[in-house]
Amino acid sequence: MNPTPDAFQAAPPLVEMRDIDKSYGGVPVLKRAHLTVGRGEIHGLVGENGAGKSTLVKILDGEVQRDAGEVTWLGERPSLQSRADAARLGITMIHQELNLAPHLTVAQNISLGHEPRLRGRLAGTIDRRREVAEAHASLERLGFNLDPRTPVRRLSPAKRQMVEIARAVVRATRLVIMDEPTSSLSAPEVEELFQVVRQLQARGTAVIFVSHRMEELARICDRVTVLRDGETVQEGPMPRRDFAELIRAMVGRELKDFYPPRNCRPGEVVLRVEGLTRQPHFEDVTFELRRGEIVGLAGLMGAGRTEVVETVFGGAAAERGRIVIDGEPVAIRSPQDAIRHGLALLTEDRKRTGLALGLPVAHNITLANLGTTIRSGCLDLGKEETMARDLIQRLRIRARSARQKVGRLSGGNQQKVVLAKWLLRQARIFMFDEPTRGIDVGAKTEIYREMNALAESGAAILMVSSELPEILGMTDRVFVMRAGRIVKELVTARTTQEGIMRYATLSEKENARAS
Amino acid sequence: METIPSEAPLTRAPAALEERASLRDWMERVLPYASVVVLFIVLSILSPYFLTLQNLSSVCRQTAVITIIGLGMTLVMISGGIDISVGSVMAFAGICGTMLLQAGWPLTAAVAGAVVGGAAWGLVNAFVITVLKVSPFIATLGTMGAARGVTLVITNGMPVVNLPASFGRLGDGNILRVPVPLVILVLLALLTGFILKYTRMGRYSYVIGSNAEAARYAGVPVRKYLVAIYVFCGALTGLAGMIEASRLVTGQPTAGTGYELSVIAAVVIGGASLSGGEGTVAGTIAGAFLMGLISNGSNLLGVSPFWQQVLIGTIIVLAVAVDELRKRRRTS
Repeated sequence: MNPTPDAFQAAPPLVEMRDIDKSYGGVPVLKRAHLTVGRGEIHGLVGENGAGKSTLVKILDGEVQRDAGEVTWLGERPSLQSRADAARLGITMIHQELNLAPHLTVAQNISLGHEPRLRGRLAGTIDRRREVAEAHASLERLGFNLDPRTPVRRLSPAKRQMVEIARAVVRATRLVIMDEPTSSLSAPEVEELFQVVRQLQARGTAVIFVSHRMEELARICDRVTVLRDGETVQEGPMPRRDFAELIRAMVGRELKDFYPPRNCRPGEVVLRVEGLTRQPHFEDVTFELRRGEIVGLAGLMGAGRTEVVETVFGGAAAERGRIVIDGEPVAIRSPQDAIRHGLALLTEDRKRTGLALGLPVAHNITLANLGTTIRSGCLDLGKEETMARDLIQRLRIRARSARQKVGRLSGGNQQKVVLAKWLLRQARIFMFDEPTRGIDVGAKTEIYREMNALAESGAAILMVSSELPEILGMTDRVFVMRAGRIVKELVTARTTQEGIMRYATLSEKENARAS
Repeated sequence: METIPSEAPLTRAPAALEERASLRDWMERVLPYASVVVLFIVLSILSPYFLTLQNLSSVCRQTAVITIIGLGMTLVMISGGIDISVGSVMAFAGICGTMLLQAGWPLTAAVAGAVVGGAAWGLVNAFVITVLKVSPFIATLGTMGAARGVTLVITNGMPVVNLPASFGRLGDGNILRVPVPLVILVLLALLTGFILKYTRMGRYSYVIGSNAEAARYAGVPVRKYLVAIYVFCGALTGLAGMIEASRLVTGQPTAGTGYELSVIAAVVIGGASLSGGEGTVAGTIAGAFLMGLISNGSNLLGVSPFWQQVLIGTIIVLAVAVDELRKRRRTS
């Protein structure tokens, strides 16, 4: 639990983060987290979605300020108030969304912010010849096959990462942090990246490699740290073959008993999705939903789950596939069509697609169902307020009045407003995308209770969730997605968190070997 | 209002903080009205001529045109858009209406023609915005040029004259000593207020402006309502063009030049947000009259009209800066 470094080690490690605390708006994301990386070491950082990996490395990069704890760098305690501080130490973070200027050339990106200047008469202007020569030299040294004069926008994602890495090397970096670097790469590109990482290591640069993909980590990492719910639960050498223990450490959480019990009596099939494809997000997705059941859609972030429900709801167009409701094939070209067929989608990002934050609670609740409040051609504001108040009371939404702006409510109450909108609409097929993300425990329980009530009243529910205990506690069946495909259907009662995680993280080959 | 007891959520601003925020909100809301009142009092003291019936009715006539366009612009800006073509569209509609009058059409039919002419440009704007997906600013910048150009082509750059004298009553007449443009303004303000509060079009304008994606995901036919909103703005602009033409009993192809600045200033001063989701009829009227009084006061006090333009420009920037500050405070 408390992986303190070896006190007798001759030299201090490159970086040591100890007892790091961080919370956002009262919700803790890191709780006494630890991370120790040795000089020239390739260190894996793993954990479920929301375990706190990104926050931890952002603290190291100076982007996020820790609430408590200490960071030592080669035995010293540097200031990490900003990314400039981190850069001075020689820490470079390569982001999931790359920080390159696409219209500039490779050389210009590498020298960005540190452009070589001309002397003499044109003092101060950029020395373009030297800029290219320097970029060329550093690319050469790294063995990268890149023309420094190419505009970055013409490069593949893997090549762009090379540019970022070259930039890091030019600035005498001691530690490179890579946040999910392989998520946008093809298999050969991953190989290229690994070679680069090994070259960095050969030059004495340490690398923190944040990833979900066990096989990749096993090939490249020396040691690994596992985060779970913001705590460091395991630290040690990276296993080469058997990941069972690692996966257990990632998910090993107590199944809390706030999942209310429910009788599942599945009825006839109401929604059938056949061969739905939308490249590059997902392909050939087929599943069924029955009346009265709650079905989970599990998988890692980026597996394509959100895109699937979005597409079923008409938010984006599918390339292929059929949607069948009550045995009839239907054409869903917009959310409007979906709603007409009895579908409801509680989106993953309620601020972006779920709520009009600047408008009153009542207006948000009636938004999908304004027709019922219209009497002889105009809105019946009294009736609207009564309907809104009923739902505010039923879902125990903590708002000062139906006229309070939704943006002023807490996350849990905002989510209840979204739910109220679809309850008022009397939808029959509900898709919940991460329904309890970022909300407090009380609101969570109430949302679970409503979901159960809905299922018992005959609604069909599909729940996308990254929280495995939630999947296990709430659903009857689970579909597991990995890299855009449904790889497994499981009966919830007969599976475990490890079982789901295995399908979500390992390729078929690995799974066959594991079982 | 009413409190619903429940366990306290984790994040909640302390009551004192919330109260202070709402006090500040309230002050920001009454600011435009208070400014009108203060300016009114100051001008009555500074100029003996200000409080005469003749002067006040002239202020109303001048301001009514801007305010009527402002009502349409209020809807557009609530929906998160902007329409800078209004000055040109107003001239186009005025020319259409006066040419119909010249051709012998009765006044009401000619006014209807001007309204349809304005609405047509609204339709063009909506098409460019919703189908070609051009941002409202650029789309209406284009139609601003195009509408002015078409107007000049039709008239060959010459004003439309020899109109029946009775036409002047639209802009300069009185009903029970109340200027006709003011009467029209009051009726349209009531209509717009009703639309905003009691119809789907109004409600959806706020929702689209507040969060267009959320509106789409709730099944709101966003495009259809954007078309309605821009057509409404165009139609009101057309009517305003007729009133403006009537005041000179001439159709001027160069009428309305620079009016978009005053109209947008009025709406923004009235509390509408450039990013949408906010705005009221009363606020827009207050904003327009604030500028009408500034202009009138400057004339009475002998301030150069050139300086008035500087003043309007400054006010518009200040109003937007205040809006930006408010937004930044809200998100932080």
